[in-house]
Amino acid sequence: MSNKVPITRLGKFFGENDYNLDISMGEEWLVGDMNFTCVLYRVDRYKTKTDDVYGETVEDGVKFLPPVEFNAYIQVSAPENKMMGSTRIDQMEPGNIRVSVYQKTLEDLEIDINFGDYIGYYESETVVRYYTVNNDGRVVSDNKHTYAGYKPFYRTISASPVGPNEFRGL
Amino acid sequence: MGLPKKIKKTLPLTQSKTLYPRREELKEMIERDGTYLPKSLLHADLDRGFLDFVKDELKCVVEGKIVPMVDILISTQNWSQFVETWNFQNIDKNAEPPFITVIRTPEVKYGTNPALRYNIPNRRQYYYAQVPTWDGQRHGMDIYKIPQPVPVDIKYTVAIICNRMRELNKFNQIVLEKFSSKQSYQNIKGHYIPIVNDEITDESVLDLEKRKVYIQKYSFTMLGFLIDEEEFEVQPAVTRIFQMYEVDTQTKKRKPKKEEPIPPSTYITTYPDGVLDSTQTFEYTVNLHLTNTYNVDSFSVYVNGDYYGDGLDEIQINTNDILTISVIKTNPLEEGRLEFSQTYL
Repeated sequence: MSNKVPITRLGKFFGENDYNLDISMGEEWLVGDMNFTCVLYRVDRYKTKTDDVYGETVEDGVKFLPPVEFNAYIQVSAPENKMMGSTRIDQMEPGNIRVSVYQKTLEDLEIDINFGDYIGYYESETVVRYYTVNNDGRVVSDNKHTYAGYKPFYRTISASPVGPNEFRGL
Repeated sequence: MGLPKKIKKTLPLTQSKTLYPRREELKEMIERDGTYLPKSLLHADLDRGFLDFVKDELKCVVEGKIVPMVDILISTQNWSQFVETWNFQNIDKNAEPPFITVIRTPEVKYGTNPALRYNIPNRRQYYYAQVPTWDGQRHGMDIYKIPQPVPVDIKYTVAIICNRMRELNKFNQIVLEKFSSKQSYQNIKGHYIPIVNDEITDESVLDLEKRKVYIQKYSFTMLGFLIDEEEFEVQPAVTRIFQMYEVDTQTKKRKPKKEEPIPPSTYITTYPDGVLDSTQTFEYTVNLHLTNTYNVDSFSVYVNGDYYGDGLDEIQINTNDILTISVIKTNPLEEGRLEFSQTYL
């Protein structure tokens, strides 16, 4: 077990209780008011079968942990109309998704989001789009992700859309 | 006084093979643990072979610690590099220097290996081996044919990422020594594949305001070739059939040849006391002419049981006819006789 050092900075104006209160208020806004939900499909990196040259999965070799629904603040970028490289094949690519999630949410659900995991987000009652994590935002040491410099409190995760030939949900 | 550097520390007990015997030895090695055909050699095999080359031949040990190597070629799958449970990750799950990684240039171009550069077009099949066969009944030969391997040049970049100059130096020493003869070889599935060192570049990040790290890249070209076992061809050649016959060894006597009947020139029927009929089967075709009678008053002729006539001077008989002559004697107590001359037809 690693050593724990109490955080006493900003102690004159701010402390653990204030921090927890603000986080709980934020959660109330996110879950109670906004209520954006998405589903996390985590790749089971131990059970997944891969080849020994490229680390790619063999056919039907990807194994997933049980999917978990979680609340987060979702921002979907605008789609891009562009050609695939220089192939002259025009495509309307959906934009990336940006998922901002409280660290506390992840800790309460006992989950972690890693590179390559899939996130499902229901755009409407019938349309769900899946994304693969291309930046799991695990480094949260910057000012933006710390509460006024007190402690990191959320993660920003970026994910790219995937087609049905890569992932179609479970 | 130290020993000269080139002195052999161990002496081989057997003479190593050279020239044709050595080529035979290589061929046996290629075919080992399999069929008479060489093993298939495709892109993934060459890639795995190069990774093994870096792992084994360019193994870098500094201060008693092995510089770890990323043992896969990172692909487009985002999580593929985290599949392995590396032991050189830091708290941010980033790979912690020093480590070695291999990058393959995705495009694979037609090879420059001079041994394979010029060939006959249309993927002609070439004789590789003839293999004896036995299906339980027949001895035969199969001809194994393979197309000419396709030469490929695969370019790899081996990057060492480290924080200390001594790790760079050690790796550089290993590479230069390994490629002091311009090229080195890797045995991939029994095939010796040459690898050439192209160039060495430096991409070290030495900015004052960034984390400093040495990154040196070594470019290699593998002069490989592709052999696809799907293209192999096996054709039956000569088949030798061994047939057996079983015969009766007993000797049989020949039957005597059936003799042609030699009919007499006359046909005489006699009728002793109490006998009034005579029957005769003829094995030939003949005309009977009555020449003389004795003690016969009259006679009736039947051929094949059918009435033919009475007191005839001439009777026509065909082969296998049954002639019956019934007589009435003048004196019943004496012997009667009819005499015919025969004319053969």
